[in-house]
Amino acid sequence: MSNSETFKYDDKIVRNFAIATAIWGLVGMVVGLYIALQLIFPALNFTAETSFGRLRPLHTNAVIFAFVGNGIFMGVYYSLQRLLKARMFSDILSKFNFWGWQTIILLAAITLPLGITSSHEYAELEWPIDLLIALVWISFGINMFGTILKRRENHLYVAIWFYIATWVTVTVLHVFNNLVIPVSLTNSIPVFAGVQDALIQWWYGHNAVAFFLTTPYLGLMYYFLPKAANRPVYSYKLSIIHFWGLIFIYIWAGPHHLLYTSLPDWAQSLGTAFSIMLIAPSWGGMLNGLLTLRGAWDRVRTDPILKFMVVAISAYGMATLEGPLLSIKSINAISHFTDWTVAHVHVGTLGWNGMLTFGILYWIIPKLYRTKLHSLKLANTHFWIATLGTLFYTIPLYWAGWTQSLMWAQFEPDGFLTYGNFLETVTQIIPMYSMRAIGGTIYVIGVFIMAYNLWKTAKTGKVENTEVSFPPRVETIAHKGDYWHKWIERRPIQMLLVATVLVLIGGIVEVFPMLMIDKNVPKIASVQPYTPLELEGRDIYISEGCVGCHSQMIRPFRSETERYGDFSKSGEFIYDRPFLWGSKRTGPDLHRIGAKYPDSWHYNHMLDPTSMSPGSIMPAYPWLFKRKINTDYTAAKIRVLQTLNTPYGQNYADIAVQDLEKQAKKIADGLIAGGVDQEELETKQIIALIAYLQRLGTDAKANVIKE
Amino acid sequence: MYKYILETAGNINWMALFALITFMIVFVVSVVFVITKSSKQIKYMADLPLLSDDTNNDNN
Repeated sequence: MSNSETFKYDDKIVRNFAIATAIWGLVGMVVGLYIALQLIFPALNFTAETSFGRLRPLHTNAVIFAFVGNGIFMGVYYSLQRLLKARMFSDILSKFNFWGWQTIILLAAITLPLGITSSHEYAELEWPIDLLIALVWISFGINMFGTILKRRENHLYVAIWFYIATWVTVTVLHVFNNLVIPVSLTNSIPVFAGVQDALIQWWYGHNAVAFFLTTPYLGLMYYFLPKAANRPVYSYKLSIIHFWGLIFIYIWAGPHHLLYTSLPDWAQSLGTAFSIMLIAPSWGGMLNGLLTLRGAWDRVRTDPILKFMVVAISAYGMATLEGPLLSIKSINAISHFTDWTVAHVHVGTLGWNGMLTFGILYWIIPKLYRTKLHSLKLANTHFWIATLGTLFYTIPLYWAGWTQSLMWAQFEPDGFLTYGNFLETVTQIIPMYSMRAIGGTIYVIGVFIMAYNLWKTAKTGKVENTEVSFPPRVETIAHKGDYWHKWIERRPIQMLLVATVLVLIGGIVEVFPMLMIDKNVPKIASVQPYTPLELEGRDIYISEGCVGCHSQMIRPFRSETERYGDFSKSGEFIYDRPFLWGSKRTGPDLHRIGAKYPDSWHYNHMLDPTSMSPGSIMPAYPWLFKRKINTDYTAAKIRVLQTLNTPYGQNYADIAVQDLEKQAKKIADGLIAGGVDQEELETKQIIALIAYLQRLGTDAKANVIKE
Repeated sequence: MYKYILETAGNINWMALFALITFMIVFVVSVVFVITKSSKQIKYMADLPLLSDDTNNDNN
C-alpha cells in the first residue's frame, strides 16, 4: 500500500441530504394527509392558497422531488464515493447541488399554493424554476461524471449504471416537457398543443416514475441491500440484463396513460406492448433483490432495516406487475380516472420508495454519525406501522376505484344510467376516503417516530468525513478476447452514450411521428381559438388546479357518451396549450360542460357547490368573486399564441382586452338580469371562468372535418 | 384515424423495425455477455459494494 493515496469521503453532504430527505418526507406526507382530509371535510379548504387543487401538486412534487429527490442524492453521494474509491469531484458543486435543490423545493412550496403552475402533472413548476432545476441537475451530472473520471476503481458497479441512465433520461425528459414560451415570470405557454402536448407530457410523466422513482432507487437497492445484508447481490448477471432491459423498455411505456383517449391507436398499442414487456426486467430485478437475502432470512426477522427493504422490494414487484396489467386496454377502461390509479401509485411510493428510503436512513444515519441506532424497538414499531399504514391506505382506495368505476358504467334495463348523477358515485366512496385518511395518518405517525429515532441517534454521535487510503487506479490494458461489456463497463462516457441512444430510440420513435404530423391532425372546421376572456378563464382553471379533479376527455364508451356527451376528438384540442385532459375524476368530466347549464348555475356553484349539488365535496371558490381578472398579459398571451400558429387576426392583440371587457360585460349583465347582485361583476375572475366553462366542448358539435 | 395519420406522416415503418431490432440486439448481446462472462469477474463485480468498505471506520 506504499503508493496509497489518503483522502476523505465527503460524508457531510450525505448527512445534509439525509436530513433533508427526512424533513421533506414529513412535510410532503403531511400535505398529502391534509388533502386526503379535504376530500372528507371540504371545509378544510380555508383559502385559495390552501385549496385542494393547489395543494395536490404541492404534495406530489414534495414527495417525488423533495423526499425521493433528496433520497436519491443521499444514496448516490454515499455510494458513488465508496464504489469509486474517490471523494466527490467538486465540493462546490456538491454544495450547489444541495442548496440549489432545497431552493427549488422552497420555490415550489411558495409558487404552487399561489396558483403558479404549468399544469403538466409532476412538472408543474414554472419556467424560471425549471431553469434552476436544469442548472442544479447539470451540476449534479458534472459532479457525478467528474467523480467517475477520477475514480480509483476500474470497474463501474451496476448501481452506477442506474445512476448514469437516470441522469441522462431525466435531463432529456425535463427539457422536452418544459419547452414553453414565457409570457411573464409566472406564466408561460407550451410549444406543443392538445394531443401532442398530452403525448409529450405522459412520455415525461411515466418516465418521471420510471427514471426518478425507479431506476435511481434500483441503483440504491443494488448498493444498500448487499450492504445491509452483508452479502453480494444474488445474481450480478441478472442485474446486467435487468439494467439494459429496463432502460430500453421503460421509455416506451408512456402512452399507456392515454388509452382510449384521442391519441392515435398505434401510439396507444405501442405503450401497451412495451408496458407488458416491462414485467420481465422488473420482476428480474425484484427477484434479484429478494434472493440476495437467501440464507439470511433469519436476520430479516430481527433486523428492521432488512424488513423495510424486503417490503420495499415486494411493493416494487407488486407495483410493476400491476402497472403492466393496468396498461391492458380492457383493464384500463375500468381503472383510468378512478382511485385505482391512486392506490397503484401509492403501493409504489409508500411501499417501494418510502420503505426503501426508511431502510437506507436507518442504515446510513448511525454510520454517518458513528454511533448505534437509538432504538431498534422504535424502528421495528415504525416498520409495522408503515406496513399497516400502506395497507390501510391502499385497500380502501382499490375498493373505491372499483366501486366508482362500476357505478359509472351501470345501466338500467331501459337503457338509462343507473347513477346518472355523478355525485352519487362520489358520496358512495366517501367512507373509503375516510379509511384512506386513517391509513395515511398511520403511515405519517410512523415517519414521525422515525424522525424522532434518527434525531436521538444523531445526538449521540458526530459526522466526520471518513478518511480512507486506496492506491490510484491502474488502467488495465485490453486483452484479446475481452468482451464488449468488460470494455464498456470501464468507460463511463461510452456507457453514457449507449444509454442515451437506447433511451432516445424509444422517445424518438414514439414522439417524432406525432410531431411530424403536426399539420395532419384532422382539423374540425368549427373549432376556433379561445377568446381573450376564455383564455384568462382557462388560466384561472389552471391556477386553481381544477385539472386535479376534472378530466376533459370523454372516452368512446357508451357509459361516457351517455353521461357527458359525444366522445372527445383530437381535432378539438389543437388550441389547448397546455392540454387539460386530466388523469383523475374526483368530479365529473367537463369536456362538454359548455352550454349545459346557465351562467347563473356556475356562478352559484362556484360560490357554494353544495347549493347546486347537495353533498358535493368540491371546495367553494369565494376569492374568484373578489379578485379581478388580470388583463396585464392578455395581449402578450395572444401574441405568443400567434407565433405558435393560433389563427388570431393581425394586430388582434391590440384589441384583445377590449374584446375581453365586452364579453365579460355581456356575461355579467346576463347574471345581473337573472338576479345576481354584485358590484363590478364584469371585472371579477368568476366571469372569465364562466366564459371558459361555457365554451368547453361546444365548438365540435358541427363535426365538420376538413383537410 | 391512425391509418390516415400514419399515411400522411411519411414512411415511418423503419422506425418501429429499427427499434425492435435494436432492442433484440441489446437483449441478445446482454444475455450472451452474461453467459460468457467468467465467474471470477462476476464475483469481483458483485463484491464491489462489500469490498469498498471504509477502511478506517469501524462502524462500517
